[in-house]
Amino acid sequence: MSITRRDFMKSTVAASAAAAVGIPISQIAKAEVAEAEKDWQWDKAVCRFCGVGCGIMCATKDGRIVATKGDPDAPVNRGLNCIKGYFNGKILYGKDRLTQPLMRMTDGKFDKQGKFAPVTWDQAFDEMEKQFRRAHGELGPAGVSIIGSGQYTVQEGYVAAKFMKAGVRSNNIDPNARHCMASAVAAFIQTFGIDEPSGNYDDIEYTDTAVLWGANMAECHPILWSRITDRKLSHPDMKLVNLSTFGNMSSSVADLEIIFKPNTDLAIQNYIAREIVHRDAVNWDFVNKHCVFATGPYDIGYGMRNTDKFAHDAEKDIQAKENAVVLDEAEAVAQRRKAGETVEQKNAGGAGKHWQISYDDFKTAVEPYTLDFVAELSKGDPDESLDDFKVKLKQLADWFIDDQRKLVSFWTMGFNQHQRGTWVNEQCYMNHLLLGKQAQPGNGAFSLTGQPSACGTAREVGTFAHRLPADMVVANPKHRERSEKLWKLPAKTINPKVGSHIVKIMRDLEDGNIKFAWVQVNNPFQATANANHWIEAARKSDNFIVCSDPYPTVSAKVADLILPSAMIFEKWGAYGNAERRTQMWREQVPPPGQARSDVWQVLEFSKRFTVKDFWGEQKLPGLKADGFEDGKLPDVIAAARDMGYSPDDNMYKVLFATPANTKVAWPDPVAKGHDNHTVVALGENWFPEKALFEEYAEFGRGHEHDLAPFDVYYRDDVRGLKWPVVDGKETPWRFNGEYDPYVPKGEKFAFYGKALKAIPKGNLDGVTDPNKTAHTDKAKIFFRPYAAPVEQPDKNYDLWYCTGRVLEHWHTGTMTRRVPELHRAVPTATLFMHPADAQSRNMQRKDVVWIESRRGKIKAVLETQGRDRMPKGYVFLPFFDEGVFANKIALDATCPISKETDYKKCAVKVYKA
Amino acid sequence: MGGAVAPPMQRNMTDKSRRDFLQKSAQGMAVAATGGLIWSFLVRQEAKANPAAIRPPGALVEADFNATCIKCGQCVRACPYDTLDLATAGQDIPIGTPYFFPRDIPCYMCPDIPCKVACPTGALRADLSDIADSRMGLAVIDMENCLSWQGLRCEVCHRECPLRDKAIGIETHPRQISKHAMFVPIVHSDACTGCGICEKACPTEKAAIRVVPAELVQGKIGEHYRLGWKIDTPITQEFKPADDRPAAQDDAAPGEAPGLDYLNEGSF
Amino acid sequence: MSTSTQRLGPNGKPVRPFVMPDTLSGKLKVWRFIIYRRIVQFTVLLLFLGSVHWGWSVFDKPLLVGTLSSSEFLGVIPMADPFAVLQMFFTGHVLNAEVVIGALIILGFYAILGGRTFCSWVCPINPVTDLAAWLRKRLGFGPACNLNRNTRMIVLALALVLSAITGVAAFEWISPISMLHRELIFGIGLGLTAVLGIFLFDLFIVRNGWCGHICPLGAFYSVVGRVAGLLQVHFDGPTCTHCGECAKVCPEPQVLNLKKAAATGRVEPGDCTNCGRCIPVCPEDTLHFDWRPLLKNKTQTTEATDRRAA
Repeated sequence: MSITRRDFMKSTVAASAAAAVGIPISQIAKAEVAEAEKDWQWDKAVCRFCGVGCGIMCATKDGRIVATKGDPDAPVNRGLNCIKGYFNGKILYGKDRLTQPLMRMTDGKFDKQGKFAPVTWDQAFDEMEKQFRRAHGELGPAGVSIIGSGQYTVQEGYVAAKFMKAGVRSNNIDPNARHCMASAVAAFIQTFGIDEPSGNYDDIEYTDTAVLWGANMAECHPILWSRITDRKLSHPDMKLVNLSTFGNMSSSVADLEIIFKPNTDLAIQNYIAREIVHRDAVNWDFVNKHCVFATGPYDIGYGMRNTDKFAHDAEKDIQAKENAVVLDEAEAVAQRRKAGETVEQKNAGGAGKHWQISYDDFKTAVEPYTLDFVAELSKGDPDESLDDFKVKLKQLADWFIDDQRKLVSFWTMGFNQHQRGTWVNEQCYMNHLLLGKQAQPGNGAFSLTGQPSACGTAREVGTFAHRLPADMVVANPKHRERSEKLWKLPAKTINPKVGSHIVKIMRDLEDGNIKFAWVQVNNPFQATANANHWIEAARKSDNFIVCSDPYPTVSAKVADLILPSAMIFEKWGAYGNAERRTQMWREQVPPPGQARSDVWQVLEFSKRFTVKDFWGEQKLPGLKADGFEDGKLPDVIAAARDMGYSPDDNMYKVLFATPANTKVAWPDPVAKGHDNHTVVALGENWFPEKALFEEYAEFGRGHEHDLAPFDVYYRDDVRGLKWPVVDGKETPWRFNGEYDPYVPKGEKFAFYGKALKAIPKGNLDGVTDPNKTAHTDKAKIFFRPYAAPVEQPDKNYDLWYCTGRVLEHWHTGTMTRRVPELHRAVPTATLFMHPADAQSRNMQRKDVVWIESRRGKIKAVLETQGRDRMPKGYVFLPFFDEGVFANKIALDATCPISKETDYKKCAVKVYKA
Repeated sequence: MGGAVAPPMQRNMTDKSRRDFLQKSAQGMAVAATGGLIWSFLVRQEAKANPAAIRPPGALVEADFNATCIKCGQCVRACPYDTLDLATAGQDIPIGTPYFFPRDIPCYMCPDIPCKVACPTGALRADLSDIADSRMGLAVIDMENCLSWQGLRCEVCHRECPLRDKAIGIETHPRQISKHAMFVPIVHSDACTGCGICEKACPTEKAAIRVVPAELVQGKIGEHYRLGWKIDTPITQEFKPADDRPAAQDDAAPGEAPGLDYLNEGSF
Repeated sequence: MSTSTQRLGPNGKPVRPFVMPDTLSGKLKVWRFIIYRRIVQFTVLLLFLGSVHWGWSVFDKPLLVGTLSSSEFLGVIPMADPFAVLQMFFTGHVLNAEVVIGALIILGFYAILGGRTFCSWVCPINPVTDLAAWLRKRLGFGPACNLNRNTRMIVLALALVLSAITGVAAFEWISPISMLHRELIFGIGLGLTAVLGIFLFDLFIVRNGWCGHICPLGAFYSVVGRVAGLLQVHFDGPTCTHCGECAKVCPEPQVLNLKKAAATGRVEPGDCTNCGRCIPVCPEDTLHFDWRPLLKNKTQTTEATDRRAA
């Protein structure tokens, strides 16, 4: 500390005086500041943190970020930032920044049980190549994996995905966005046939009603929250509803706070649908023209392992439910079955299938969801009266149905991290579509994202186990064909079998089906639920984990090799936010030491493999696809030779430094003098970030995902553009003829997404007519029933447990906890609990307590007066703190359709440590 | 010894020795008086050394606290967070007394108030039973440097306040220059304990919210006035005239009427 | 070593000088009370330090928490500096019973023990002033000025008067004893400069200046210790040769009024700090701690005295 305590006390007094009268800064002081800042260089960039995508400006001097500010021209934030954004410039300068590759070694050689020691990049890549070849040789393309990120830049995601899908022919690349947005994605695809929201943030300024469903926007989308609050302040009729399982910061501005029991959001939405039906409020013009009704199977499991081979004893009772479930009373009513009935989860493998039903079927399906039934089932606060709760539900339905009222639904992890995440997302569209309140300014169901490029990279680039760029999927032969064409690959190079999603990669590490994993821009060993299993799997099994990271994280510690990565402003990049806005920035400062961009790392690693390494015949257990021999990927080397590739060509040349790409020269005027350390480190003179962006953009151009040319995003007057950008124009609202060039001329609306449009016919019990009918330009209104959470509090584990974020910290805290000010503000994750629950356990706030689930136990400090108001029987623990490690005890059940983990509900007990 | 009558022994003294004795006595008294003055000056200086010192919960008002604190440090030892320290000589805080700098370690407001329990003298009021009733100081916001007052979404102080919404509330205002609301923290002195968690948590380079003794910053509305919308005072229906109201004067002396000076003197 | 003329004491025995033994064990015997005192002083300090910093406890009860001003032993027994509490009483403030009881406990303890036992056995300043006195003797500094030993009584009175006037415990706010003790336990500050001041004062200006002339706490305990207590230096009159060795080492030589002592059989309590310096240097074993009240068998002591006298 540079100031003494004495000085400090003096300055305390001075500042309090300033608070009262405002001491003016003298002209001399101002001149001094101006002098000191005169050679600062400013450039536009994007905030590193959440999915809101605030614009910032960076000032650099002598190769350091010396200051940042909110970009006043950025339409998202108009110069503002939240407290994380305020510290963008500081995240680069943590004391323990990694500056050279580190490998576990004993006596100068790699040893999985050895201690980390610095190695050269060559040594690092040598060992990595050796281990990659070993895993690939033993298990084929399915034995290697990349754990990616929704914080990848567009180009990073693209090179990683292309390396795996086009080069290695493995679909085992999956991002942490799986934990974040997968349910939203699945619902978008199933409902609209195309991913990402129809609306944009301007909906906030157009709407009269904002309904938050499991989105604590006040903390997790801070700048959007100030827009919503401003709308409320400036528009007297604006209503704000906060639906949550506990009272959070977003309730403070809300007109209506509805605290519901976990999973009963499924029932509440069906109640609204039933009200719409019963009040004859269906917007038939809209529904008849633009929608079809649909449903799917209910017995879809919970995304857990279907064997207890790897489960600890305590986990086995819950794990068994993956195979069969006994219906409880409420589920029985909600699914029109008998209570106590055992239901085999037969459709766990085909959870996503669905079929068309009639409106009458739909009506029958929502019929049980009466106010009495739903209120009884879903009231989440034992201290609230049932009558009060009913009044609230009815009020919510009234606002939904009021045809004079525009309404936007916002959600994030409350819906997405849900054992029925895809369902609950679809239910939201159900009500918006029934009322025709979708795809119009101020009307729509708007899925918010958590990560800065969950949309821009993970989803649009397709760094998922099942995806290809521009919403294409590996399972679709036409999509593979188009991708192979664009990528100049021989036919059948791309693997048609969906790879392992992120939770499955962890499980594969545990059961030995994957033996090489490369972690990029992610901290999966802290972020994945039931973490004890995966840490043990990584450390004790015969596998090789590489972790690219700027800081020593939990995942780095778990890894065998750590590669030092460049951070956001140390490389060229692009992010895409939740409103489809693609924003780009230049490299502002050089990375420290030997840290390098992730783009360089993938490109450099790809140089070590040739066509014959990957493109010969490859075993692929479980592969079954039209045109493919079972269990095998065909040899495409001959076809490659016909295309002009030599078996000895390395993957760098084949995939990245292609003749077209190397024509994109560096230096480039768009740089305006900024460096590109990736180019320097590659030792070449092409511009990978630009060339690869343009190559990637070709996938979407003309296919509803048009991105503008690279250089446009760097124009001084551009602050990101919302795709599709057609003829230089952004698209503010998709599917709406007034705004979206893809809607056929003369049509008011068209839900033109192409995926899953052809579906069979059936009734509530199943398919009756397997012939598929295509419902072009239509959206689906799904009926999805209430399903009880797979793990619920019982006598032993008697509390609901939920994890999540706080405003001050980002995800696993690897960056924000290295900002001293943020660390000081919120140094540790505290367990929020109702005071009565603490009292009944003989605990008081600030006690250190054990939190124990079937999966382990962790220690945290108890807080009964925390920012969140917990109902009795419910605890919340933020997951940013690796010292507390909230995800060790979370349940790794996922939505069976989206495979997104439900971090929001499992059962724990809490007792004094 | 000494009394009104000098003892016989002294009567036998010579003038010189008498003079010496008186001189010595006077000198002695002067030394004692001078020493006493310097001493009391030192004590007074020390005891008011820093009116901005933040005291443990339940501390009596500064003068009484200084008088009753025995400087034993039992409160320091009792604090589970090492919040408290005893002032050493040379610090700006009254010597030996417990204090804390919230920016370093704030008071985490233990429900059982161990520091107060440890205090043997009552310098920390024994009757403080609810920590929320303690008044260690008052949080004051420097609006010019508070991020939230500038429109940023910070409000860390509000979220971290253990008496959130009571001691620190949030008011929302339109920002005027864009479609974003401002969330401005407001400290409510009727609930703020001065625990300083806000000051500790404030993420600005120098804390924009600080705890200072309330006397240093708090004003007071005149006793003669009540804020009309804050206190409900119905019209008294059965008015009772005061028993000792002044009686009507019927024999005031002529020439002593108030106001005559003004009326009779000076020009217009 | 021999002298040409043998001086005789009032009892007719030859006056023998004190001779420091050559053997280590002999020396240790001479230094034994200094060693005991240091052990007690540092043990007390250590108990405070250990309880505050290392959480020393017995049966989950903290051992000794606080400072000499006020503390709690084993979480139940309160102790407090009676002089500090008296000053606070003069400020006109009502104190908690706990601290008053603590003060009475300590007051009673030292009253029963007798003399200024606190000063040489517990007070942390004592090693400092002892060091100054030892150094002063080695360097042979003469007096720079004279100060009446009763000054401390005036200071004591002033402390109470000023407490009433200033409204705070006047001595406690400037007490170098508390400063030193507090800073040793709770962290070093400028209080040590005050201690240095005392050291220099004692070294260069007045011999035993602080403890013997100024310290009002010492004055307070000399008032308290005036009544004969358990611990006192016994004076075996008939054996004394008036050699003066005791007065040479005594920091409060006025207590060694040998005539008075011969009459009462003990060194005058009050100012005597029970430091025990005089005992080993007495060549005639005239002086010794009288443990009588502590020992059940009175005759045993008498026998021991007789044996020594013989």
